Amino acid sequence: MSVWKTNDPEVKKILYVQTHGEKDPERTATPFFLATAGAAMDNEVCIYFTMNGPQCVAKGNGERIIIPRKGGGGKELKFFIEQAAEIGVRFLVCQPSLDLHGYTMDDMIEGVEMIGGAAFNDMACDADAVIGF
Amino acid sequence: MTDVIKEDQVLDCSGMLCPMPVVKTSKAIKELQSGQVLKMISTDPGAPPDMEAWARQTGNEMLRSMTENGKFVFFLKKK
Repeated sequence: MSVWKTNDPEVKKILYVQTHGEKDPERTATPFFLATAGAAMDNEVCIYFTMNGPQCVAKGNGERIIIPRKGGGGKELKFFIEQAAEIGVRFLVCQPSLDLHGYTMDDMIEGVEMIGGAAFNDMACDADAVIGF
Repeated sequence: MTDVIKEDQVLDCSGMLCPMPVVKTSKAIKELQSGQVLKMISTDPGAPPDMEAWARQTGNEMLRSMTENGKFVFFLKKK
């Protein structure tokens, strides 16, 4: 059974892959807001967090990671995470990239789902678009 | 002289930036009945191509895309 939920051929499936985390705050918000726009277009959208990506969905980091803005006054990553979650974007992580940071699923914010490498490749093959950051 | 389009609902997204206008439009159109028209107003410079793409992807019809008093105005008919 696929991680994708839709069986409707009219609904497109878009998979974003986020590999960046705390060290690159300027690279953390974009996958969330592009995913938000994708979901607002009635697509099914997931973001897969791997390598440093799980840091984006670790508890407390939404408040800690500030998206820089020239001249100051950057927004918290939390804003973009909540916007995406509210419109139905799903967040996925894999075990090895949790191990990399010493995380368990308890360290992840509510709603994060665990998948493995096989499920990721299966999703990628079934997706209409896979976009990596 | 262009025909006047009568909207059923107005959504003012002035001051909002990507992806908020798309998100708000998506929510607003879900509240309408099929055939009803949403007038969406935006100041986001990316809104014209964004709304065209949104309409094409979602199947809701873009009746008109225009500029009015320095703002972008879209009339979207729910499919």
